[in-house]
Amino acid sequence: MSNREHLRLIGVPVGSKIRLAEFDPALDPLQREQLLAYGLSVGHPLEVLQQSPLTVVLCDHVEIALEHAVASDLWVEKLPRHAP
Amino acid sequence: MDLTLPRTSPESPLDHTAMLLVGHPNVGKSVLFHRLTGTYVNVSNYPGTTVEVSRATARFDRALSLLDTPGVLSLPGRSDDERATMRALLHEELRLAVQVGDAKNLRRTLTLTALLAELGVPMVLALNMSDEASARGVAVDHKALSEVLRIPVVPTIATGGSGMQPLIDALDVAKAPAPLLHYDTDTEAVVQEATALVEELAPHPRLASRGLAILFLGGDSEVEQWLQEKSGDDYARLVALRCAADAASSEALAARLAAERGRAADALTKTVMDQSAHLRRPMAQRVGQLAVHRLWGWPILLAVLYVVYELVGVFGAETLVGLFEEQLFGEVLNPAVTDFFNRIFGAGWFTDLFVGQYGLWTMGMTYALALILPIVTTFFLAFGVLEDSGYFSRLSVIANRMFAMLGLNGRAVLPMVLGLGCVTMATLTTRILHTRRERLITTFLMALAIPCSAQLGVVLGLLGGMTFAGTVIWAVTILFVLLFTGWLAGKLVKGRRIPLVTELPPMRLPVLGNVLKKTGGRLKWYLIEVIPLFLLGTFIMYMLDRLGILPWIIRAGEPLVTGWLGLPPEASAAFVMGFLRRDFGATGLFALSSQLSAEQAVVGMVTLTLFIPCIASMMMIIKEQGARTAALMVGMIVPTAFLVGGILHQLLRIFW
Ligand SMILES: Nc1nc2c(ncn2[C@@H]2O[C@H](COP(=O)(O)OP(=O)(O)OP(=O)(O)O)[C@@H](O)[C@H]2O)c(=O)[nH]1
Ligand SMILES: [Mg+2]
Repeated sequence: MSNREHLRLIGVPVGSKIRLAEFDPALDPLQREQLLAYGLSVGHPLEVLQQSPLTVVLCDHVEIALEHAVASDLWVEKLPRHAP
Repeated sequence: MDLTLPRTSPESPLDHTAMLLVGHPNVGKSVLFHRLTGTYVNVSNYPGTTVEVSRATARFDRALSLLDTPGVLSLPGRSDDERATMRALLHEELRLAVQVGDAKNLRRTLTLTALLAELGVPMVLALNMSDEASARGVAVDHKALSEVLRIPVVPTIATGGSGMQPLIDALDVAKAPAPLLHYDTDTEAVVQEATALVEELAPHPRLASRGLAILFLGGDSEVEQWLQEKSGDDYARLVALRCAADAASSEALAARLAAERGRAADALTKTVMDQSAHLRRPMAQRVGQLAVHRLWGWPILLAVLYVVYELVGVFGAETLVGLFEEQLFGEVLNPAVTDFFNRIFGAGWFTDLFVGQYGLWTMGMTYALALILPIVTTFFLAFGVLEDSGYFSRLSVIANRMFAMLGLNGRAVLPMVLGLGCVTMATLTTRILHTRRERLITTFLMALAIPCSAQLGVVLGLLGGMTFAGTVIWAVTILFVLLFTGWLAGKLVKGRRIPLVTELPPMRLPVLGNVLKKTGGRLKWYLIEVIPLFLLGTFIMYMLDRLGILPWIIRAGEPLVTGWLGLPPEASAAFVMGFLRRDFGATGLFALSSQLSAEQAVVGMVTLTLFIPCIASMMMIIKEQGARTAALMVGMIVPTAFLVGGILHQLLRIFW
């Protein structure tokens, strides 16, 4: 995909439109499977709704809450403002 | 002659008689089940409402039995409720399946379709929540989707009833879907090898071997068990194949399979779905976000608690109970009934049995109907509204940090909150938790320190009428015990804590009809389950009293009850009753309220709240956790209850 820098989801400001770039290898495989089941797959656009007390992202009209331990194992890249 | 002949007669050539409703959690399967069978099962706005399969005959085809299954986040299943769904797929005489999907989240829906398609079961796809999809600017070309999948695709709004007839018509033309994908070359080779092996060792009468192979490779425990039973010693060959495949790649096989299905679903979604670009954020979403906001979340929680307290604690426990207990029962019914018995039967043991100190009517029925019923009713109403609003799921976000202290995550909030309704049912809901450890800790904490609605009813009835400070002390003590024992359990029970990942369902306006139906169902449960026990308990008290055993119990319990807890000796009887149901024990205490000081009432209520919940919940714990664990729990709970009660007594003597 693109060559933007990858950030940890936990460090992305609220309101950002992002795309999931990769799962950190440290992420537990079962947890990763669970994230996939919620629709968080690599390349998919998301919006950050909240970072505290938990990270909440909007993924296809569904709000998904992630504990910081998980959110810090997700690498994302910011999408330009006008992107879909 | 009977003119209402069923459409399909029992001798139908279709000997497979089951139709399964499957799909993700919280997509409306249970609403649809109600529409199609007329049988109501609980519907609530959070994932994990249904944790057991329920079945009923279809309205439109008497020979067809419909099964409502627990929602699956994904297959292979990872929690006990998901496993129940897989079991139904494996073992039911399946004629067809209806996948219920969320139209506004087509991508996720199709990810599951991709797996179901491999099982080769005739299917129909119901795209439910079409109303919410269009409100969010999502348009699905269901004709095109139907062409690609080669199965009927029907848009529905289960709550409004639209799309039901088209759905019923589509069932006749259900087909096995066309596969959505071939896995990448390496994975596909493994899948085919495993398929051949399943075909050879353990072909399933209804499900395709390829689907079973994929589930097996993904580590589905139900499929594993099934294959193992069928293939005996040869099962090792399957395991060896999976181990080799897992070792050959850096990425876990299960995750790889899931990711590929996700990609296929993604591609298909892009071709059949249109998302309009400029859209205002729905109001519900903004409300939902405030509810989990770092700062706003707390005042909102307090406001919710306040409203519930006003409804249950003030309107239910004071106004309604006053009306029922003092006026209706106290002034009208009880004097009339007592008078009736005295006139017909004269004074004596028989009259005493009904209208004496431990009379079935004057004690059992009066408490059950005049005291607890109003409180339980208002509580269930408030509870039903909250369940349907989507607020409960948001509590898991707010409480996650607190639950982290207990070695749990916010997912455990749901069973615990449901425990406030009924600990027995909530014990079943612990199935949504992902590990045995989480289930064990949650079940234990509920049995110890979560008062069910009936218990709350008596506590509010006694303490609320006596002392507000006492109610607060009671609540704080129980919360403290909950946190402290939880913290201890988190340290002692082996295993890792799993961080929270959960979806938050959209906030919705509660549907009045659903809230009433659910409340009605729960009240029926209360009347059928609780009242007989109240009567039985009253009867036991009466017998103990008659046979002169009560004084003996009082003497035996005196050191503990009077010496340690500082309660009047008669309270021993309440604890005996507490073994039957803790709320019933609390009611026994209530009977003594004229002899209790405020301090004694608080100590007694705290001790009884921490008691084992009730016989029904103990049976459930035995069923879910085994007799040994259950016995161990009782062995810890009863001493804890008395220990805490005694310490509280000592503290209150000094400070209050
Ligand atoms: N707007 C809208 N809401 C719906 C529709 N169908 C169901 N709901 C709501 O969705 C929520 C979940 O419905 P359920 O029938 O309990 O869902 P389920 O699939 O059985 O959920 P689990 O048992 O948890 O797997 C409830 O609040 C319903 O009122 C629909 O078509 N439109
Ligand atoms: Mg359900």
